[in-house]
Amino acid sequence: MTPHEPTRVVGAGPGDPAAEVDLSPGSPDVGAARDQPDAQRHDREPRSIHPGEGAPMTTSSTATLPAAAPPTDLGRTAITTGHTLEVDHVTKRYGDHTVVDDLTFTVLPGRVTGFLGPNGSGKSTTLKIMLDLAAADHGRATIGGHRYRDLTNPAHTVGALIESDAFHPGRSGRNHLLILADAIGIPHARVDDILEQVGLAKAAHRRTGAYSLGMRQRLGLAAALLGEPDVLILDEPGNGLDPQGIRTLRDLLRTHATRGGTVLVSSHLLAEVEHLVDDVIVIDQGRLVTHGALCELLQSASLVRAADPNRLADVLEQHGATTQTEGTDGLVVRCMDIAEIGDRAFSAGIAVRELSPHAGSLEQLFLTWTTDPTDPEEVVQL
Amino acid sequence: MTMTRLFRAELRKLTSTKMPFAFLGVLGVIAALNAFAVIAGTDMDGSKAFIATEADQRSLMAFAANAFMGAGLFGAVAVAREYGHHTVIPTFLASPRRARAVIAQLGAVAAGGAVLSIIGAGLTVIAVAVSLPTTDYTFLVSVEHVVLIVSASGFAGACGAVLGAGIGAVVRNIGGAVTSAVLVLIVAPPLIVQLANGTASWMPAPLANVVAGVGNGVSTPAALAALAAWAVLPAAIGLIAVQRRDVV
Repeated sequence: MTPHEPTRVVGAGPGDPAAEVDLSPGSPDVGAARDQPDAQRHDREPRSIHPGEGAPMTTSSTATLPAAAPPTDLGRTAITTGHTLEVDHVTKRYGDHTVVDDLTFTVLPGRVTGFLGPNGSGKSTTLKIMLDLAAADHGRATIGGHRYRDLTNPAHTVGALIESDAFHPGRSGRNHLLILADAIGIPHARVDDILEQVGLAKAAHRRTGAYSLGMRQRLGLAAALLGEPDVLILDEPGNGLDPQGIRTLRDLLRTHATRGGTVLVSSHLLAEVEHLVDDVIVIDQGRLVTHGALCELLQSASLVRAADPNRLADVLEQHGATTQTEGTDGLVVRCMDIAEIGDRAFSAGIAVRELSPHAGSLEQLFLTWTTDPTDPEEVVQL
Repeated sequence: MTMTRLFRAELRKLTSTKMPFAFLGVLGVIAALNAFAVIAGTDMDGSKAFIATEADQRSLMAFAANAFMGAGLFGAVAVAREYGHHTVIPTFLASPRRARAVIAQLGAVAAGGAVLSIIGAGLTVIAVAVSLPTTDYTFLVSVEHVVLIVSASGFAGACGAVLGAGIGAVVRNIGGAVTSAVLVLIVAPPLIVQLANGTASWMPAPLANVVAGVGNGVSTPAALAALAAWAVLPAAIGLIAVQRRDVV
């Protein structure tokens, strides 16, 4: 698999049609899903995922996601109006440079979705387009079916952390939040509550210029949470956080999603993302590379050990698979169903000694998706 | 309702940093210099003729021209720092209809400029009034004229602040905005006067003096309108630029 091929999408396994919802534009599932009350959408049965049963990656430009897992804790603060985020064929150019290129994906409520890509891949620009901080040249981004600018008092619907440094250094953290509270019409008591929640109560009256990076991240998070929004859009929220802060962030986002909220988190901290997200959207050079449930993506490869791994690699690659050498006689095969691998090997007369599902790390997968092996400079950058 | 909330937030932005206090400090220094001039200053012939008449004293205290320029810098810094520190991002997230946010900001900056200018004019009047007894002259300016001087300063300060805010919205970094404001407020007027005959009366300082009752180049209504026009034009350009630009 080369990194810049058309979009690849992981879907449900064969024979499991009820387990997936195609929310791509024009898909019949879109209308059905939209027509359902959000609560019903949450009520869909969670799919069970069996290692090795991941469907082969397809080359559709649309994104298919498994149905949202039902919230496990719909306590008194449950969010009953989950908002789906939709980015629909968005393109953004700065001069001759295309930063976002016909990008389409959907983020479902009730799940934490990671938005991944190398530096300069267009993540922040995409988030800014979703939040109407930047204008798309083509396509549109909506939140619950509405453009951000059309939301009534949007801070009550969407909490965003876009710049970790968006504070006046001479202003106290509390004053920063009071300004936002004034702007969105929130009682000042909420400011003190949220400062307590993010662990900044003691530093509330200090100048933000004296805050550490982690404290600024917490303040940015507090600003995002101030309006008690259903949707969280966070750009690199884990930057500078200490382990305790990371854990708090993880718990907070998980709780938010469990309550039915929508969470989109951009990050390059893959180890953190791996522990945090349900779904991932990966972009590179402004284009969608893959989009799917993380557990499926991690298990979407197969390990095959064969008598002639080189010839088997050639055979499989001729039929659209990507392969990586594993040890002396092994191959990690992606983009091909495990049964098809066996069939192809059998047809080619290559003896197979082992054929099993292979779970890789997110980092391995990320590099596979976003590194062009023919470009040594790109490997170095990553 | 939205505008009220945004206006309140913008006012809090202005009052929650030390910037206004820095400008207040400058106003105190200006008032002190005026007092020093009254106490120790003389004309070329060694007399104190520059404070001898009511008109002289009014000219000395007329603060509107200074207010226009000082508030111009205030407005430029207040708005440009929003972009420099990216604090405009939460503002635009709270109010994605950017025109509302910008108008609220212009309103708050105008109010801030007016208040600072009124304080500056008041301090100057007080400084002159307090220092005159050290000379052979008494305070000759009527209450009506004091009110005119102070209110003219408030108006000129509001206009100057809006002009500066417009520049700040276009330039977006503090250094560049201050430099641009200095160019527009101090460097450009004499150049314009030299290039276009008959424009001297329409420059900000002469217009502010007319509003303060110490100049007569144009009528007072014309001066009010022209001073407002100096403010509105860059503010309109800034408003358009903010709506069209991406926040990067």
